[in-house]
Amino acid sequence: MTSIDANIVIWLNGFVGTVKVFDDLIRIIASDYLMPLVFSLGMLGLWFSGTSPVQRVKYQLTMLMGISALSIANIVVWIFNLAIERPRPFVEYGDQLNLLFYPPTDPSFPANPVAVGFAAATAAWTINRKFGLWMYGAAAVFGFSRLYAGVFYPTDIIGGAIVGIATYGCTTYLRRFLEPIITGFVRLIRGLSAA
Amino acid sequence: MNTDPDVVRALFASHYFLLAFLSSLGTLQIAVANAGTRGLWMTPHAGMTRLLGIVLVITAIVVFFLQPLWVGGPWAAGSVEADSLLRDWGTASWDEIAGARNVNDIHGGLDGVKQAFWFSLAAISAFLVSAIAGTVTMNVIAFTEEQARKTSSLDESDGLEGLVHRSYFSNLPISFRNFKSEIVEVWRSGTRNSDKWSLIRSVFSSSSK
Repeated sequence: MTSIDANIVIWLNGFVGTVKVFDDLIRIIASDYLMPLVFSLGMLGLWFSGTSPVQRVKYQLTMLMGISALSIANIVVWIFNLAIERPRPFVEYGDQLNLLFYPPTDPSFPANPVAVGFAAATAAWTINRKFGLWMYGAAAVFGFSRLYAGVFYPTDIIGGAIVGIATYGCTTYLRRFLEPIITGFVRLIRGLSAA
Repeated sequence: MNTDPDVVRALFASHYFLLAFLSSLGTLQIAVANAGTRGLWMTPHAGMTRLLGIVLVITAIVVFFLQPLWVGGPWAAGSVEADSLLRDWGTASWDEIAGARNVNDIHGGLDGVKQAFWFSLAAISAFLVSAIAGTVTMNVIAFTEEQARKTSSLDESDGLEGLVHRSYFSNLPISFRNFKSEIVEVWRSGTRNSDKWSLIRSVFSSSSK
């Protein structure tokens, strides 16, 4: 499995240097700042997007679940990292790869940024299918950029996506343990005229 | 790189805050324009507010990624090389601009927790700016303060719903008053209707026994 994984990274990364503009675009998309900002802005936008009181409460509760899922996804990835210390592709195949990104020092599996992106996208998808698909697209492009840059294997990306989606599902399920605190919190924010 | 990571981190934090603030303000304007929440509009018209939002988001991202061209940082000479440790301090060239921001958090980039902190602060600031600007806008648009007063005496809607026809500062006392009068009932009915797995319900039912 690892060899197929490695072959895909090496093949894809082999295109680095062919079109400089594309490489530059990948560097920007793969950055730690652009796509995480897009996910955060997506959630912020949905918080204020409801057009009726009922829709607003639904959106805002879902966004709170999404934010919680992001945090929990980070913890889940950290636990995986402790259990499976998979080296990054550039550590094992450094002589065959042209890195487009700084060499991260944490383990490769699962891809943390992809997990975060897919958790946010799943939250968005549950309340707005069209917007959710755009967010899934953004998360997938983010994953592809890191793959092309040579810092993740394809299975890290797939693993990250599964962790993100599963974490959102679990967070929604776990909400029942904390009710009515969460609904009360949204009511408090409404009392401050922000929900 | 011979620069202290904390110096780099402070630089990144200030740049990231500007990015997050402008883009949050832009996103907020697009969302409230679509939802008709006039109390947070920065211009008197929905279309103009939406356009302003789009311009703010694009400006924020463009400024953030082009800033290394004129602001000195860990992106001179070698920023296109992957390892952020080997970079020099200075401004970046056009050739290096795409990779300039790719600095590892151990060398001064912002990790996820710091980004979350600065983004939250920026989003709250963007909301406050929208609330203040919206108060001015509400006085400019056809919805005069007098009309707003009439509406507020008839309408008890609060939160974002109240901001559809009231400024933030007119809406806040109504929202908070409603919150104080409703929260006990919200809590009681929430506890009553919550799932059997609810920790709060378990605590309250055991204490009542």
